[in-house]
Amino acid sequence: MDHTIEVKMGELVIINDDTTELKTFVGSCVAICLFDIKSKIAAMAHVMLPKKPNNMHHIQENEIGKFADMAFMHMINNMVSMGADPKTIQAKMAGGATIFSHEAETSLFNIGSRNISAIKQLLKDNGIMLVSEDTGENFGRWVRFNPNSGKMIIVSNLKKTLKII
Amino acid sequence: MLKSNYEDLQQLDSILNSFIVLKTIPSLSIILNEPIKYFRKKTQTIAITGLDQIISDFEEKNAMSAVYVKCSGDLRIGVLWYLLEKESKPLVTKLLGKSHLKEFDSLAVSSISEIGNILTASIVNAISDDTGCKIWPSVPGFAVESLRTLLEAIASDFADQSNMLIASIVEFHGINSGIKLRMLLIQDPKEAKKLVA
Repeated sequence: MDHTIEVKMGELVIINDDTTELKTFVGSCVAICLFDIKSKIAAMAHVMLPKKPNNMHHIQENEIGKFADMAFMHMINNMVSMGADPKTIQAKMAGGATIFSHEAETSLFNIGSRNISAIKQLLKDNGIMLVSEDTGENFGRWVRFNPNSGKMIIVSNLKKTLKII
Repeated sequence: MLKSNYEDLQQLDSILNSFIVLKTIPSLSIILNEPIKYFRKKTQTIAITGLDQIISDFEEKNAMSAVYVKCSGDLRIGVLWYLLEKESKPLVTKLLGKSHLKEFDSLAVSSISEIGNILTASIVNAISDDTGCKIWPSVPGFAVESLRTLLEAIASDFADQSNMLIASIVEFHGINSGIKLRMLLIQDPKEAKKLVA
């Protein structure tokens, strides 16, 4: 890849350049990628929470990816307006880990699994196929997405693992 | 709202420092049975998207043993206690009064979590006494991960209300044992004003 764009916490990036890859780091957050392999239009959102709170009215441009519901609609609408075919858009995702032990036992902490559930529901509601995922577990992941091949590379430096999905 | 007001941040830093000196250091000194030195990094306002700025190269490359306590109520505060994973064994060995530790078992996790619990209580109780705010700490959560992963999980706890955070970092050194324990205290800028009022 000629260029890499890093998607920071809560950000969202859409590209139509298949020489550029998208990269982010996720722990309990989820990296959701939507892509249309024909038009080479791809989007990555770094989702931190399932739903935008009702009392939050002002969202800055660099936090459009923060909430799953808001990120999802923004990705779909903008990808289609850039020329993606909604019928051929597919999804891949990674992250949603349970980082701290005790998380599973208290609703206070289990944000990773709530993020995964919310995104899966949004995909289902919008008829978008989840091609593959690397989610759950208890560790952080570097995620790279190649819009040309549609491949997602997931690396854990501490666990010394590499997955291609 | 505390966002970039330098004087407010200085005042907040000074208040937190007094709680640390009066409450946290004596507590840690009793737990470790040794005198404690401490180093403060300044309290700062950071955008959630830029939270990785506080990660040093050293912290990026090494696994940390960490305890996180999430406090709710009148004030939302996240307190993360962390040290190098390889330094957590000597700490637990000392806590359990053993000469050596074969493996990092559930008792070790429990003892290190309890330290996080006690030290968080030392600060939270001081804040509560000073401000009258009711604050409820959660059960401590334990993890061994990179600081990047730990920060990301904590940021999610605050992301529903703000895109900015106030971060205070303090490093505690056991003078005899050489144990280095770090504390990261995270607050929502909108709520931190309750501490400086």
